[in-house]
Amino acid sequence: MSENRMADQHHLAGERDAHRAPESVLGPPGVQPERAIQEGIADYAVRKHRSLWSDAWRRLISNNTARIGMAIVVFFVLAAVLAHFFWEYNPRIDLDYSLKLKPPNLQATAEIPSIHPFGTDKLGRDIFRRVAHGGWNSLRVGLVAVGIALAIGGLLGLLAGFYESMPIGRVGQATLMGGIGLLFGAAAAWITRQPWLAALFVGLGVISVFLDHLWEGRPTRLLLFGGVGLLVGAVPAVLVGPAAAAVGGLLGLSMGVVVARPLSGPLVSNVIMRIMDIILAFPGILLAIAIVAMLGPGLDKGMIAIGVVNIPVFARLARSTVLSVVQGEYITAAQAVGVGHGRILFRHIVPNSLSPVIVQATMGLATAILSAAALGFLGLGAIPPEPEWGAMLGDSYKYLTTGAWWAMLFPGLAIMLSVLGFNLLGDGLRDALDPRMVLQ
Amino acid sequence: MTRYIIRRLISVPLTLLGVTVVIFLLLRLIPGDPAVAMLGEHAAKENVERIREQLGLNRPLFLDRDALAEGDVAAFFDSQYIRFVGRLARGDLGDSIHRRIPIANELKQRFPATVELAGCAMLLAVLVGLPAGIISAARRNSIWDGASMVGSLVGVSMPIFWLGLMEIMLFAVILHWLPIGGRLDNSIELKTITNFYLIDSIITGNDTALVDVLKHLAMPTLALATIPMAIIARMTRSSMLEVLQQDYMRTAKAKGLQERVLLLRHALKNAFLPVITIIGLSTGALLAGAILTETIFAWPGIGKWIYDAILGRDYPVVQGGTLLTALVFVVVNLLVDISYAFLDPRIHYE
Repeated sequence: MSENRMADQHHLAGERDAHRAPESVLGPPGVQPERAIQEGIADYAVRKHRSLWSDAWRRLISNNTARIGMAIVVFFVLAAVLAHFFWEYNPRIDLDYSLKLKPPNLQATAEIPSIHPFGTDKLGRDIFRRVAHGGWNSLRVGLVAVGIALAIGGLLGLLAGFYESMPIGRVGQATLMGGIGLLFGAAAAWITRQPWLAALFVGLGVISVFLDHLWEGRPTRLLLFGGVGLLVGAVPAVLVGPAAAAVGGLLGLSMGVVVARPLSGPLVSNVIMRIMDIILAFPGILLAIAIVAMLGPGLDKGMIAIGVVNIPVFARLARSTVLSVVQGEYITAAQAVGVGHGRILFRHIVPNSLSPVIVQATMGLATAILSAAALGFLGLGAIPPEPEWGAMLGDSYKYLTTGAWWAMLFPGLAIMLSVLGFNLLGDGLRDALDPRMVLQ
Repeated sequence: MTRYIIRRLISVPLTLLGVTVVIFLLLRLIPGDPAVAMLGEHAAKENVERIREQLGLNRPLFLDRDALAEGDVAAFFDSQYIRFVGRLARGDLGDSIHRRIPIANELKQRFPATVELAGCAMLLAVLVGLPAGIISAARRNSIWDGASMVGSLVGVSMPIFWLGLMEIMLFAVILHWLPIGGRLDNSIELKTITNFYLIDSIITGNDTALVDVLKHLAMPTLALATIPMAIIARMTRSSMLEVLQQDYMRTAKAKGLQERVLLLRHALKNAFLPVITIIGLSTGALLAGAILTETIFAWPGIGKWIYDAILGRDYPVVQGGTLLTALVFVVVNLLVDISYAFLDPRIHYE
């Protein structure tokens, strides 16, 4: 797509030059203008088109840090995938007490007939094998958790940053006001046990958008919507009782006052970011533990928990990136020629905000793997005997004083090296995706 | 400026209120009943009911709509959450369900332990990370730069619980240099005044205790400090490099200023803002990391305490402990934001 567009531009440039051709541009006199034009075009066409992404890729592979990072990541991904699909392992039947906690050996002896390069653990299981198979679980948790955080946090941050600097369209306003109505309405409906109250509240919210010029900015407007809200909330609740009617009316009144005021973008952004602040105020691992405790143990629950904890990271990053991208003159230009909000958002803002998000996602993979290992270590990740690096450390931790260093060294090294790989790759990506960096 | 501070100060209780709502909901969604956890699986039903009533667990979570339908407005608002917030407003965090003692009492013991550990870790992180970053930036591409950057990359990739385990293995199990865990050896008497053992042993002039406290602190401090140390070093380096490229740095160099003055007074002062932001955000990581570190080193702080309370369904402990850690995090970051205005005169808050 973009190649085509570039080709079009080259073509246009060629034509423009062609108009000036006879005087200056096209070389020595006597050369056939047509041929010269064609040569000119050919000149443009010969130079291979290089997009931002291919430039970034070149920078990435010419960067030592990134190369090492990529090598480590590829190694771990390959090892995990190969072990998972081509090396059968059933943790349920892997057990041999006669080989309990044996140190690493590379040659079979009479005492230990089998070879265990990383030694064996408390159940006599080969640690090398479990580390190889555990990679699949650890990397998967990281990937899914970052996916969740990126999808939800990125979207929230995008909306917050966008509406903080742009006016909100009619449809958007109606959705938001309807949403506010739904919140108040749900509360009223729950308290009074009248589900259809919610629909009434939503209706009031949407109507306020379409009556936006009615007594605009005057106290009469507040009175009108407040009064209507009071009636909408109180009258149906009378069926339940006078006290319920009072509470319903109060909810309706406050809702009316809220929707009577013009809806501003910064308010939306503010609400989103304050919720993010609340999640951020929790110590991350603690929130993850609480979520896992709620959902029950298991690897998939761990993914969700770590994902949720990381939502604010991506929301904050996306918002601040969008805020700076929106300042660009090309956004003003797009607005001036009447491009719709959706198109501005997805054709201009999203592609230009991608690079910091990509870098953060790579680094986020590293922290997600660390968090997953921490949950596993605390016994809240993979359900035993399923192999997972953190859980393997948690398993062997009680045998620390017996001197069984191998049971902890190797799973820990695997965690550290894979995390290091993603961190190196993220570092390299940051340099590669920075357009200020010059390609040698 | 004052208006900005006031606005931020108002947001602190609001954020904390949000934290209480979230933790309240989460805890109640965790399957399991504290009353059953207390009495055991086979307790008589009426006993469980009695305990539930004593603990207020028979009340609805947020609002009582049935009471409202009967016109009882007071009962409508008499819920677990509103009771909790009401007590909180009077400074009462409630009692631990398991140990039947006020949470405030236990916090007085445990909070200083965590703060002592986290404070030492932060101190170590800044004392090592900041100079490492400055030297790396000043001697770019030197062997020092390479070493500290590789070191810090390994540092940010470190699973700290694993590092802790490896430390125990090396220093306690193999070399027998340091104690395996805890805050103070049982055989040593220490009169506690502030519950910060370092301060207590210095005030009372108890040298044997001081040495022992330091020995106990060494390994957990190192484990906890690793990640913030690495982050601070990296941030200092990149921020310093940016400043060193500025024109005024060339001017200062041309004036013939000493390198020390150049680096510390001109460069570091301008490069400090991102570093201090990272230090603020790292307090969160320290408090969170404390859960793992405290578990490994049997450190009697709040991290391990909250963790056990979540698994044991001790609602008041989790609520109180989480609220306190969130408070510390929010306040530290507020102070960081306010310090910007003092560190950088170009920043004005409206």
